Amino acid sequence: MNNTLLALTISLLFGIGTFLIFRRDMMKVIIGFGIISHAINLYIVAGGVFTEGTLVPILEHEQAVEGLNQGLIYNDNLTAGIVGPITTNPYMDFVDPLVQALVLTAIVIGLATTAFILTLAYRINEEYGTVDVGELRRLWG
Amino acid sequence: MSFLMQHLPMFLIAIPLLMAPATIISKSYPGFQKALDIIVSIGLLALSGLLIYTVWNDGIIVYEVGEFGKYGIVLVADLLSSSMVVLSCLIGCMGLIYSYNYIESKSLNLTYHSLYNLMLAGINGIFLTGDIFNLFVFFEIMLLSSGALIVANETSKVTKISDKMEATMKYIVLNMLGSNAMLIAVTSLYASVGSLNMADIALKVRILAEAGTMPWHMYAIGLLFIIVFAGKAAVFPLHYWLPDVHPTAPSPISAMLSGVIIKIGAYGILRILFVIFSPLKGVYGPIILLLALITIGLGATAAIGQNDVKRLLAYSSVSQIGYVFLGFGMGAIALEAGEIAGGTLIVAASFVYMVNHAIAKSMLFLTSGGIIHHAETRDMRKMGGMINSNPLMAFSFLVGAMSIGGVPPMGGFIGKFSLFDAGLRSAFYLPIAIALLFAVFTLFYMFRGWMLMFWGERDPQYGEYSHHKLSILIVGPIMILAALVFVLGLFGNPVLEIAQTIAIQITDPQPYIDAVLVRVIR
Repeated sequence: MNNTLLALTISLLFGIGTFLIFRRDMMKVIIGFGIISHAINLYIVAGGVFTEGTLVPILEHEQAVEGLNQGLIYNDNLTAGIVGPITTNPYMDFVDPLVQALVLTAIVIGLATTAFILTLAYRINEEYGTVDVGELRRLWG
Repeated sequence: MSFLMQHLPMFLIAIPLLMAPATIISKSYPGFQKALDIIVSIGLLALSGLLIYTVWNDGIIVYEVGEFGKYGIVLVADLLSSSMVVLSCLIGCMGLIYSYNYIESKSLNLTYHSLYNLMLAGINGIFLTGDIFNLFVFFEIMLLSSGALIVANETSKVTKISDKMEATMKYIVLNMLGSNAMLIAVTSLYASVGSLNMADIALKVRILAEAGTMPWHMYAIGLLFIIVFAGKAAVFPLHYWLPDVHPTAPSPISAMLSGVIIKIGAYGILRILFVIFSPLKGVYGPIILLLALITIGLGATAAIGQNDVKRLLAYSSVSQIGYVFLGFGMGAIALEAGEIAGGTLIVAASFVYMVNHAIAKSMLFLTSGGIIHHAETRDMRKMGGMINSNPLMAFSFLVGAMSIGGVPPMGGFIGKFSLFDAGLRSAFYLPIAIALLFAVFTLFYMFRGWMLMFWGERDPQYGEYSHHKLSILIVGPIMILAALVFVLGLFGNPVLEIAQTIAIQITDPQPYIDAVLVRVIR
């Protein structure tokens, strides 16, 4: 149920963002990009939730030590078909920590691009006296 | 020395990244700032030469940033990455030297140096990283700094500032869409295979394909990546930003954009198509082939009607990147059909084409800056007779035009010849016929531009040419690159040899995977 709601929210945000990007007002386009980037951030976080049957790359200390002794946990054994961390015991209490690091990076990058494009829109408004994208027609594409 | 060798891939990213604040701090001492920047960029070129030498002799270098093995970020310098880094450092160094007399001094001292160094760091990072999310981060660094560089002021006031704003808006908005798509693709890939390391993903995708349990959304993820990189490289449905952005940028930045930044798209396609989604290349090959043919035709046809010298070169870039992608498409189809030798040959040929186009086109854009400086207009109809008043630019434009048109003994001839030869050997008769037809178009539009600008007489109503002589800082880089075009044409063997090795490495990703996964142990 929760997953369905999350998916619906993400898709709704994508829809609103896409609608705004197709507007002629430059500010609405920028707001649309902001909404889409937040939709993507939610999407990234949603990818870190583990359900039944998926494996978490987190191990408790004893398991990690034992695995290192066997040479299996952090080593890929290509001939035996072992890739990546192997744990026989999926942990339901954890979420993937990597996606949270990813989403932080994505938020910071989104901030930088939004700041840049807002400055650009302000300068375009000064030069052209309009924020209507349809009137930016001095280059002939 | 061993410290240098040990951290070689990191230096190529860290040095330009550190130079960005250093040039801002030293902005009150312009002479020191320029000298520092130029020495460092020449040093960077030397380091990239050292990198490709080491990789050629000792094989793939894997550099761990942090100690998390394949779960952390790794930098991987295989032969493809290191040769692309050499290309970016070479053109970057030439563009920087050229900028000193071309960019307005206030803009130069304040932000130009630091943004240029950030852009170089981003480009080198894109080529060297082995982690797909890190690739996205470097993409953004490159995108923002290059977007800000497009609006840098030139000394000549030919391009209006409002045009630059408009072009940058197009560039940033389209590339933001591209980076959003890329973020979705990266996340979906991570959620599907649980890894961000390119070698690891490649291995897992192959295991999935061999087990026959490939989920359907992997096809969509691969397509999303192809859309992103094709957008960066200006391939057909997403080509329309390029002819606005490249002409309005200052000439050294146009040279970087056309020489290196659109090649990033080609590099990304090579990695996606032949390494990461190697089992699916039979699905994507025909799509890329078709789009590439349309791009070739569209770019060449549009270039014929242009009267603006930089727009002519920009449309020519669209057409030429189509040839590179044509090679990738044909290579993927041939490899999927089991013709390993033929497919490898085609991929090698398109790499040769890419290198030759990068050098010749960046040289042409730098030359167009000299022409604009001299004629004080970008409209070719308002020029004429410049062979008398500016023979140096006439010579270098002719060298570039011959190379792009594929006339021996220039480098472009080697590229075109090897691509068509390799294509015919694998029996791609129809695509090669179409490509050959538009190669004739290429020859036509390049020489039409050359004749309009350099032959005949200038109409007196447009006034006299500027008597301002071009400085050595502007002529020097053009001449070095023109000499390189000759050298690549006359002694093309080393490049062909490197390209062959690259194609063998890239079409059989097992050594790459082994190098990253077996050597990287926590």
